[in-house]
Amino acid sequence: MADKILICVSAVQVTAALCRRRQLVDCTTFQNDEAGLAAFDEYLAPHAGLPAYLMVDVVEEDYRFEMLPHAFGADRRDLVQRKLKQHYRNTPYVAAWLLGRDKSKRRDDRYLFSALTNPNLLAPWLQAVSVRGMAVAGIFLLPIVGATLFETLRIKAANLLLVSQQSGGLRLTFFRDGQFRLSRLTRGDGGRAGDRARFITDEISNTRVYLHALRTTRLDEQLTLLLLDRNDTLVEATRAIARDNPSLECIRLGRRELSSRLKIAEAVLELSPEAIYLQLLAIRTPACNLAPSNVTVGFRRLQLRLAIYAAAGVLALVGAAWSGVNLWQAADAHAQKIEAARQTALLQAQYREATRQFPAAPTSARNLKRTVEIAQQLREGVRTPELFMRVVSAALESTPGIVISGLTWKYGAGEADAGSGTRHTAAAASAPPGVPPGRRQSGVIEGEIKPFRGDYRAAVATINAFAAQLARDPAVADARIVKLPLNVDPALTLAGNTLDNRELPGAADFKVVVVLKPNL
Amino acid sequence: MSDLAHRELQLPAIALVLAAAAAGGAVYYSDTLFKEAQRQLAQQESQLRDARTRLQRSGDEKEVIVRYLGGYHELQRAGFAGDEQRINWLDGLRLANERVDLFGVDYQISSQAPYAHASELKPGDIALNQSVMTVRFRLLHEEDLLRFFNTLQDAGAGMFTIDECAMKRTDTTGVIRYQPNLAAECKLSWITAKPRRVENQP
Repeated sequence: MADKILICVSAVQVTAALCRRRQLVDCTTFQNDEAGLAAFDEYLAPHAGLPAYLMVDVVEEDYRFEMLPHAFGADRRDLVQRKLKQHYRNTPYVAAWLLGRDKSKRRDDRYLFSALTNPNLLAPWLQAVSVRGMAVAGIFLLPIVGATLFETLRIKAANLLLVSQQSGGLRLTFFRDGQFRLSRLTRGDGGRAGDRARFITDEISNTRVYLHALRTTRLDEQLTLLLLDRNDTLVEATRAIARDNPSLECIRLGRRELSSRLKIAEAVLELSPEAIYLQLLAIRTPACNLAPSNVTVGFRRLQLRLAIYAAAGVLALVGAAWSGVNLWQAADAHAQKIEAARQTALLQAQYREATRQFPAAPTSARNLKRTVEIAQQLREGVRTPELFMRVVSAALESTPGIVISGLTWKYGAGEADAGSGTRHTAAAASAPPGVPPGRRQSGVIEGEIKPFRGDYRAAVATINAFAAQLARDPAVADARIVKLPLNVDPALTLAGNTLDNRELPGAADFKVVVVLKPNL
Repeated sequence: MSDLAHRELQLPAIALVLAAAAAGGAVYYSDTLFKEAQRQLAQQESQLRDARTRLQRSGDEKEVIVRYLGGYHELQRAGFAGDEQRINWLDGLRLANERVDLFGVDYQISSQAPYAHASELKPGDIALNQSVMTVRFRLLHEEDLLRFFNTLQDAGAGMFTIDECAMKRTDTTGVIRYQPNLAAECKLSWITAKPRRVENQP
């Protein structure tokens, strides 16, 4: 299955070659006439999906070397387009090839402008390709394709003249330091059909004179002649040329050598003189493309489609690889789990065997131990109101005149509730470190002054003394009065009558909140 | 972009979307399998470590059982280890009332709930529960309160803590000599301990 089709159009014939993996697999020739065109059209029918690479080998070609001021981007593009329009008004098949920078001070850009000056030569063949809906990858001039021969064959020569017999005539292309400089296509052999050596020698001489006239080379300069002899018919001619031209270094590449070095089947090589260049085009696509963008739009779309398919393929591959790694790791983890389960079962069996020696117990050893320890902790943590009652008793002994009417004790979070009608007090003292906040003993003492004869000052003094006595106890963290017989809080309203009989006994009750120190 | 271009790119775009979806789905599914396998492996390895540690400490375990089994049985008998023994508590109340010569004890037991201060005891696999009992009784003297609780504790009815107590002097203007002077109301927490799950018992 071919992956592209390569077409070479010359004035005499058109050669179409199928290419698979950068190698020609078939080559078919068509006469450059109506019948040939019809046959070509039929030939294309089964290959309509392939991209087409066109190559032109005609005398209606033009090459110009020019220096342009160094520029970038759009400026460079505009400059080049302007030059191309200036040089080639009548053809759309033009190209500019940036060869490099000049060595002068200005460091200008060196360009090779090339064109197919007679577009009509190509038009019917291109039309046939377009009608089939084939994507045109590019249109190239044969000598430019030949420039890739240096890299493909790894030839090193300062001045090289590449000579090959094509269907349209003898093609002579001159390269200096590996760069294309000039190409000529000579039609026929000038009436010297019997003396190929003489004909080629003459054309070489003509080319050298022309190169000398162009000041490209000197006549006495060493020149390497590379003859592409696909039919092995120029063996004698090569010898004769070498003998007659001592300043020429002659290299002939015969059929076998061409076949092995270009990796093209000898049978295919024999089919057409253009097969060599078509193989070069198959190996490497030159940058100098004559096709305008409207011709290659289909190819760009094809490339985009292929790129999307490639991206889809890459995505699928990455997904498959990633999933594969995940599955492999999952399988590995599963295998490890099974092994761990086996070991666990073994250890458990050993443990069960060991526990047969244990005394019978209602629960695990850890639970037995923890339960006993918790019980011990709870016993140590039990609090009774005894300490609180002792503190109150001690305070009562040193403060006569006070009678206790009620006692509330609490061990837990927060203080004992002093009930309604008491003054708002600040929070209890903070617990020392290591003691759970809020778990402490506290209580409320409710009492009254007896006997009480209306002397509030004395009653308050007695209550204060009682509270102070409580506060002095080493076990007490805080003792404060939350209710007095007479509420003297400036925030509240106080009402009464000065004529109240002081001799009549009244109530002088109070409340004191006591908070014991933590850990007691 | 022209219609032709749209048509030409439609199929590749669908292929790309399908490939992305298939790849994403496959990666997600396989990743889920991998993570689940890892989780199961970690769990199994943890069990393996436990089993290994338990086997290594089986000698110590035997020693612990021998050392603490008696104490645990005592706590079971005392009603601390195991289920609640409410009848024992009531028997204890009755006994304490008789021994302290009180005038009867009113009681009210709330439903069982987790022990409020369990976290302070770091119980581990032991579930600590409490049932709050409110008792009301009358006393001749303040000391009777302490005697009552001491007697209740000695009765071995279970383990309890006293949370709150309030005493009020009652009206004693009557002429009867042997009559209560104080009314008391206390809140007790009866605490029980029970293993949450039965482990590998020897």
